[in-house]
Amino acid sequence: MSPHPVPRRRRAIPTLFAAAGLLALANCAARPDPGDAEAVAEFRATNDPIEPWNRGMFAVNDGLDVLILRPAAEAYRIFLPPEVRTAIRNILGNLRTPVILVNDLLQGETQRAAATAGRFVVNTTLGVGGIFDAATRWGLLGHTEDFGQTLAVWGLREGPYLFIPVLGPSNPRDLAGAGVGVATDPFTWIGGDAFQVFTISRTATSALDTRESLIESLDAMRSSSLDPYAVLRSAYRQRRAVEIVNRGTEPTAATGTGFGVGTGIQGPPR
Amino acid sequence: MTLLPRRGVLLAGLGLLAARPTLAQQIDPARATGFIKVTGEELVAAINGGIGSVADRRARVAAILRRSVDVEGVGRFILGRWWRTASAEQQAEYLKLFEEVLIRNLSARFGEYQGVRFTLGRSQARTEEDVLVSTLVERPGSPGFGLDWRVAEVGSQPKIVDVIAEGTSLRLTTRSEYSSVITRGGSNVAALLTAMRQQIAQLVSREGG
Repeated sequence: MSPHPVPRRRRAIPTLFAAAGLLALANCAARPDPGDAEAVAEFRATNDPIEPWNRGMFAVNDGLDVLILRPAAEAYRIFLPPEVRTAIRNILGNLRTPVILVNDLLQGETQRAAATAGRFVVNTTLGVGGIFDAATRWGLLGHTEDFGQTLAVWGLREGPYLFIPVLGPSNPRDLAGAGVGVATDPFTWIGGDAFQVFTISRTATSALDTRESLIESLDAMRSSSLDPYAVLRSAYRQRRAVEIVNRGTEPTAATGTGFGVGTGIQGPPR
Repeated sequence: MTLLPRRGVLLAGLGLLAARPTLAQQIDPARATGFIKVTGEELVAAINGGIGSVADRRARVAAILRRSVDVEGVGRFILGRWWRTASAEQQAEYLKLFEEVLIRNLSARFGEYQGVRFTLGRSQARTEEDVLVSTLVERPGSPGFGLDWRVAEVGSQPKIVDVIAEGTSLRLTTRSEYSSVITRGGSNVAALLTAMRQQIAQLVSREGG
C-alpha cells in the first residue's frame, strides 16, 4: 500500500511467494475442461490461474479489513477535518512526484514529465511543502505513473493475477514495479532515526488515506456485488489497462497508492 | 455475383458473434452524442429536482434508465456463453431479474449524486457497432470524474449499451462477476438466478420497499 515496507515484510514476501507457488500447484483442479473451447478462452481471459489461492488471500484481507483497516480509516475520517485530510493527501501526492517524474521520463513522455516537474516545483514552494495543490489551480494537472506501468509500456506482460492482503489486487509485473518504486524513491535512502520515523509515518498515512478514500466505493461494491472478488479482479485489470495507455480521466497524483498495487476502483476524488 | 451471398454470410456471422436478437445498426456519432446530452440532462434534472423524497428521486431516475438503456441487449451480453446453456424459462427469468438489479443499482448510485452537473467530453470514439460518448460528471466540492457512455442503435432507437466509469466498464465487470457465480455454482445458471433473487430481496429491504 505504500512504498516503504518495514524490513520484516521484506523477508516475508519471498516466503509468501513460495507458499503461493505450492498452493498454485495444489490447486490446478480449478482449470476448465480442455474440451470446452469457450471455457478455456474465458479461463485465459480471466488470467487467474491461482484463483483458489488468491481467494484465500482475499478472505484474509477481508478479515483484516473488517477488524483493522476500515475502522482505522473511519477513525481517520472522524478525527481529522476534511481540510486537514486534503492537506495530508496533497503532501503525500507531492512526495510521490519524484518517482512519477522518473517514470514519465522512462516512458518517453516528455510533456507529462514537464508537468510533473512543474507541479513539484510549484507545490513545494507556493504550495508550502505540498500542503496546497497550487499547481492544479494553475491548470497544471497531476497524473499517476509507476514502474508497473513503465514495465508495461516497455512490453512486459502482466503475468498471472495476484491478490495480496493489505496491498490488494496486483500481478508479478506491478509487484516488481512496486519494489523498484521503493528502491528508487529518494526518501528510502535518507538515513537517520528521524527519517525512519518519517518513513513509517508516511507509510501508515498513505495506507489510511487510500483506505479512507475508498470507504464508499468498497462498501458499495461489497453490497451490490454477487462476487466482490471477481468484480475487483475485473475492475483492477481494466483500470490498469487504461492507466498504462494514459487514456481517459486520470486520478490526480494525490490519490490512490500511486503505485499500481492496491485499487481497482477509484474513490471519489476530493 | 458471389459477392452478395458472401456478404450475407459475413453479416450473419457478425450477428451470431454479437448474440443479440436484433443486429445493431451503425449509429451516427452526432446522434449518439445528442442522445446522451438529452438523457444526461433528464437524469440531472431528476436527481437535482428538489420535489419529493429520496424514493421519488430514485423512481424518476429509474424511469429514465428503463427507456434509455438496452436492458435486454446488455443482459444477454453479460450472460455471454451461459445464455445458450440456460433453458428458455431461465433466460426469461434472468432478463427479468437483471433489469430489476441493474435499474435498482444504477438509480441508487445516481440518486446519491445530489447537486450533480455533467458536461459532454470532447472525444467520441466509434467502433463497428457503437459510439463511445465521454462525459465529465461533477459534484459540488469534488473534482470531476470521467463517465463514458457506449451508445448503439437498437431497433432504430439510440440506446445505452454500456457505462464506463473511470475506465471500468459496467458490462465487462458484471460479465466477469456473473460468470464467476455460475462457474462456482457448478456451471449452472440456476446458481446465478438464486443469487440475484437474494440480492433483489436485500436491495428492496435496504430501500425500505
